Amino acid sequence: MTATDTASLFEREIGEPRRGRREVPHIGLPDRRRWLGMSAIAVGWALWSTGIGRTGIVNTRGWPLLRSFFGAVTHPELEGSFLRRIASATLVTGAYAMLGTVLSVLVGAVGGVVMSETWWARSLASRQRRARPIWLAARVLSSVVRGIHEGVWGLIFVIVLGLNPLVAVLAIALPYGAITAKVYADLIDETGAASFRALRATGAPRLTALLYGVIPSTLPDLVSYAFYRLECSMRAGVILGMIGAGGLGFELTQSFNSLRYNEMWTIIGALIILSTLADQWSARLRRRGSTRNVRATLVAAFGLTVASGWYLGVHPSTLWSSRTREQLSFLGKHGFPPRLDGHAWARLWRGAIQTVQISILAAALAATLGLFVAMFASRENQVGRVRTWIVAPFARTLLLLARAIPAPVWALLVLFVVFPGIMPAAIALGLYTFGVLGRLMAEVIENLDWRPTRALRATGAGRVSVAAYAQLPLAAPKLASLSLYRWEVAIRETILVGVVGTSGLGRILERQRVGLDYRSMATTVIAMIVLTLGVDVISGRIRRSLG
Amino acid sequence: MAAPLLRLVGVDVRFGDTHALRGIDLDVAPGERVALVGPSGAGKSTLLGLCNATAVPSAGLVEFRGEQVVDTDAWRRSHGRRIGTVHQQLNLVPSLRVVHNVNAGRLADWSTAKALFSLIRPRETSRVQDALHAVGITDKINMRTDQLSGGEQQRVAIARVLVQGPALVLADEPVAALDPARADEVVALLVSQAARVDSALLISLHTFALARRHCDRIVGLRDGVVVFDRPASAVSDDDADELYRIIPRPTLRSSAR
Repeated sequence: MTATDTASLFEREIGEPRRGRREVPHIGLPDRRRWLGMSAIAVGWALWSTGIGRTGIVNTRGWPLLRSFFGAVTHPELEGSFLRRIASATLVTGAYAMLGTVLSVLVGAVGGVVMSETWWARSLASRQRRARPIWLAARVLSSVVRGIHEGVWGLIFVIVLGLNPLVAVLAIALPYGAITAKVYADLIDETGAASFRALRATGAPRLTALLYGVIPSTLPDLVSYAFYRLECSMRAGVILGMIGAGGLGFELTQSFNSLRYNEMWTIIGALIILSTLADQWSARLRRRGSTRNVRATLVAAFGLTVASGWYLGVHPSTLWSSRTREQLSFLGKHGFPPRLDGHAWARLWRGAIQTVQISILAAALAATLGLFVAMFASRENQVGRVRTWIVAPFARTLLLLARAIPAPVWALLVLFVVFPGIMPAAIALGLYTFGVLGRLMAEVIENLDWRPTRALRATGAGRVSVAAYAQLPLAAPKLASLSLYRWEVAIRETILVGVVGTSGLGRILERQRVGLDYRSMATTVIAMIVLTLGVDVISGRIRRSLG
Repeated sequence: MAAPLLRLVGVDVRFGDTHALRGIDLDVAPGERVALVGPSGAGKSTLLGLCNATAVPSAGLVEFRGEQVVDTDAWRRSHGRRIGTVHQQLNLVPSLRVVHNVNAGRLADWSTAKALFSLIRPRETSRVQDALHAVGITDKINMRTDQLSGGEQQRVAIARVLVQGPALVLADEPVAALDPARADEVVALLVSQAARVDSALLISLHTFALARRHCDRIVGLRDGVVVFDRPASAVSDDDADELYRIIPRPTLRSSAR
C-alpha cells in the first residue's frame, strides 16, 4: 500500500480538479516567460508600495528586544508549575486539533463523495455527469467556506457560542472540512473512478461500489491527507488559542505580553513536539502503511477523539441551546445585510490592495528562502559526512522552527525592528510560509531524478552549475506550482498578521470587531472571499500553463 | 604502443557479498576504439563506472593519463572533465533547450558566473553549433529537448560529450534500445566523432557484429572476469557463442564466489 508524496497531495487543495488522464496542451517558452515577467512586475509593484528605499523601514531601536527574544532560546523556562501549566495547555491544543481534524475528515468524506464527478456519472461509458444541483451547490459552498480563514470562523463562533471549546473545534472543522472534501473528491475522481466503474458495471449499487471499489484503492491517500490536516489543525489550534480559546496559543500571548521570552521558548518547544508527533505518525504510516497499521491508526484516532472530547468538556447540546439561537438571530439581525458607509469603502479597497501586496511579497520571500534552504535540507544533495550530518539537519531544524512559530507571533517579533505597514506583515507571513514551503520543496528535490545531476557532476562541474543545469530545471515546474499554492494559502493567512495591527483587511476586520460593527465585518469577510477566489483563479491559470 | 591513456591493473570491485569485477587488467591507448561485450550482469557498466570515478575499486589501480582515478571533486575538475560519458538513459534535462543541454558538457571549464549567464544568453553557441552539425541536428539548437524524438535526443547527448573536448569517451550500451539499422548508425556516429576529436572510445555493446564492424579491439567480459582481449579481426563466432552461453545456475553461483 503506497501513498502519493505529500507535496502532490497539497496541490489538489485549490484550483480546478484534474479530469481523468491529464492532457496538458503544450505551452512553449513565450507563455512561461510571460507569466515569469508578470510575476516579476507583481513583486516589484508590491515591493515599491512598501516604500522601501524611500522611507525608513528598519527600526534600529528594537534590536535589543529581538536579541533578547532569540537569546532566550538557550534558557527556556523549566520551572515545575509552569511546565505543568504548559503540559495541560498542550493537551488542550492537541485535543482541539484532534476533534477538529476528525470532524473535518467526516465532513470531507461525505462532501467528497457529493462533490465528486464519479458519484454522479450518468453513464459508465462517458465522464458526462448528470446536471445535479446538489453537486454544484456543494462545490460553491465548499469554495466559500474555505475562502474564510479559520481565525475568522473563530471570531464568528465566539460571537455565537461565547467562550466555549466548541468554538475552536468548529472553527477548525468547517474550513478544513471544506478543503478536505475538495481533495477527497479529486482523489475519488482520479484514483477511485476506475474501480467504481468496474463494480457498477457488474450491477452493484452506487454505495456498494463506493465502499468496495473506491475506499480500498484511495485509502492510503485519504489517510495520508487526513494526517497532513492534523498537523495543520495543530497550528490552527494555536492561532485560535490566541483569540481566546485557550491552550498553547493563549499561553504564548500571555508570555509575550509580559515579555517573558524564556517561557515562549518552552511553549515553542511544546509546539514542535506536538507537530513532530503528528508528522512522525503519518510518516510511519506512509512508509509502512499495512492495512493492519491503518486499522490500528483508526482505532487510536477514535480513542483520542473520545478522550479529547472528555478533556475539553465538549457538550454538543450547546449548539441547539436557547442562548445559541438567541445569539444567532442577534448576529443575523446585526450582520445582515452587509453594509458599509461611504468612506469605509475606500478603506476597504485600500485594505484589499494591501492584502494582495502582503500575500505576493510573503510568497516571494518564502519561495526564495525556501528554495535556498531546501537545496541544503535534502539529504540527497549532500556529499560527505559534514554536509549529511550537520548541514542537512540544520536546514531542516530551521524550517521546523520557522513554521512552529505562529504567524502572529512572527508579526509581533518583526514589529520590534520594522515600522508598521505592509513590510512587517509580509516578512512575518513570509517567514512562516517559508517554514511550510521549504519543507515541501525539500521533498520535491529529494524525489528528483538524480541521474542527470550525477552525470554532470562526473564531468567535474561545480555544485552551483550542476544545480542550475540539472536540479533546478527538473524541479522548476513543481517548485513553481507549490509556491503558487502557498500564495493562495498566504492570501487567506494575511488575516493572521493583520489582526495584530499591521495592515490589510485583517486590521480592518479587527477594528470592526472591536467596534461591534457586524454589518461592516460581513462586508469585509465577503471582500476577503472575493479576493481569495480571484487569487485562486489567477494562480490556477498559471499552474495549468506550467503543465 | 604509446603510453596508455587508461590503465586498469588487478582491479576488484565488490558490493557486499557479490563480486562485480575480479582481477581486471586493461589498457586503452589514445585514440583507440575498444568494445566491451558480454551478457547482462557481466560487469560492463561497473567497469565503465571505474573510468570516471562513479564506481570505486575495492582493490587494484585505475589510472587515466598516468594518474590515479579518485572519487574527489579535485580529480573530476582536473581530469574528469576530459572524460565524456554517453548514458543509456541519456540523462538529459527534458525541460531545457538543446543548446543548454549541450553546453552542460562545458560546465567544468566554465566559471559559475558564466554558466549562470549562459542560461539567459547562451555562450559559445558556435561550438554547440559545430557539435550539433557533426551529429546531424543543426536546426534543433533552440528547441526544448523534450520536443525532440528519442533518436535526436541521443544525438544531443553525443553532442554534449563532443563539446567537452574529450580524450576518452565512455558509452554505456548506447544502442540497447534501438533497432539494428539505427544501432549501426549510432555506433558509426560515435566512432567517427570520437576519431574527429582525437578521443579514445570505450563502448559497451550487446551485439558482436557491431563491435567487430566498428572497433579496433574487443574485450569479452563474463561474471566480472575478462574472458578474452583481442583485436577485432581475431575474434571468432565461437568466442561470441562461448561468451553468451547460458551456464546452469549451480555453476554460475560457484563461479560468482
